[in-house]
Amino acid sequence: MKIECTIDGKALSLSVNSNKPLSLILMEDVGNKTITSHCKGNACGNCIVLLNDEAALSCVIPAFRLKDATIKTFESYQKTRQYRDIERAYQATGNTPCPNCFASKTLIIESILQDLTSNTRTKSFGTNNLPLRMEQTDEEKLDKKAIILELSLNTCQCMDMSEMLQIVEIALTYRRRKRVRRN
Amino acid sequence: MYEGIRSPVIHAPKTLSEFAAIAWRYPQATIWAGGSYLMSQSEYYPSEIKDGIIDLGGMEELKKITRNDRFVEIGSMVTASQLLSAGKLVLPDILQETLRTLASQIVRRQVTIGGSLCVPDVRLSLSTTLAVLDAMAEIKYYQGGKVSTHWIPISKLYDREGKLLLGEQKALLTRIRIGLEYGDYQKIVTVEDPIRSTDECVIVAFQAKRSQNSLNKVQFCITFPSKAFHISKDLESKLSGMTLPIHPERVNTLSYELVTELTKMHSAISDLQLERGRRIFESFLHELNAKSLSQ
Repeated sequence: MKIECTIDGKALSLSVNSNKPLSLILMEDVGNKTITSHCKGNACGNCIVLLNDEAALSCVIPAFRLKDATIKTFESYQKTRQYRDIERAYQATGNTPCPNCFASKTLIIESILQDLTSNTRTKSFGTNNLPLRMEQTDEEKLDKKAIILELSLNTCQCMDMSEMLQIVEIALTYRRRKRVRRN
Repeated sequence: MYEGIRSPVIHAPKTLSEFAAIAWRYPQATIWAGGSYLMSQSEYYPSEIKDGIIDLGGMEELKKITRNDRFVEIGSMVTASQLLSAGKLVLPDILQETLRTLASQIVRRQVTIGGSLCVPDVRLSLSTTLAVLDAMAEIKYYQGGKVSTHWIPISKLYDREGKLLLGEQKALLTRIRIGLEYGDYQKIVTVEDPIRSTDECVIVAFQAKRSQNSLNKVQFCITFPSKAFHISKDLESKLSGMTLPIHPERVNTLSYELVTELTKMHSAISDLQLERGRRIFESFLHELNAKSLSQ
């Protein structure tokens, strides 16, 4: 099957099996170095990519669903301005995920930040279907339960959940400051 | 790398009549909704897929949510994330809670309602909740060139081990229907992840109507993902009509009756799961008692 899609900013025409998982396409056909394992359904959560700007597990996306899709892996994401917020949060807390899950955890955090800061996207992940903010009036209150559920998608135990939450909170502050400055 | 394995043909019907034609020509084809279950099987790739894949992703008629005065209808290709964003007007609280705890947002964007209900061997929280809500599923059977439509209660879609009972013929779940009359006490509890810790997981859903301190229309379902899908009509009828608060000793007796019933009917359930199920069931009755006393 021939698939036209954009991976890390490059328009590619790939000839692959129609049911091949995206994670394997990235590893074997594209030579991406940030996705290092294919868990074959063990739900390890180490293969997160941004598919059309939304975080997705690449091991459960078949090739035939990739027609005209835009895929961003950690390889290109780490060159963006958004990554700086998370990188600074890692530095501020002195905690970073291990090399195995670094890319995936960073992209999960990016997905959470996008949901917390975006005004236009449908927000549906906090309590009572509200965004991750507990109350719109109090921006500082986050629905930690919903954030933990997101973060637990990656099963690597290298970091404590409270450390991860702290990173999300700090990265969110940087992201908001950036938005204010831009406005 | 995987020489000799042919790339499966992808059939992409746009309408149900196109689907019927494809299903007739390729009876062995795999029906593809969200794909999260199929792709999480260890033998999924590389492997030969006979007659190819029927991708339901382009069928707009399966992606609708409609509501009238009596019920809500949800297309089978609606994702958990889309359904959750439909909000309170459309969904009962217990279903919202189920969808929220089903998986993370990243996974919810991919999981479809039909796909989740049609997983062949593992029962997830959505089936449990919909069984308690008395939801119905529209199933289309394709045999030869003929199509027949049946409305089947979700509770009858599975056998007592929780395996899907759609028969040998090609079948498609097109939509589900949930009535808008439900009890004022609704609760679902899921202990452990049904996919990652299947052997330890317990899912219990409960709903009841309270009127003047008595319980009515009690509906209750307990699921052990790959072992049992249990609805106790006996306990439901015992609880319906009971006056609140229920004496703590009676609560205890009822919970052990549930354990006896489960042990008798499902030998595969572990002691840990049984104890978890019993305690969750008990906690629902204690909560009902507490609510009745605080009124």
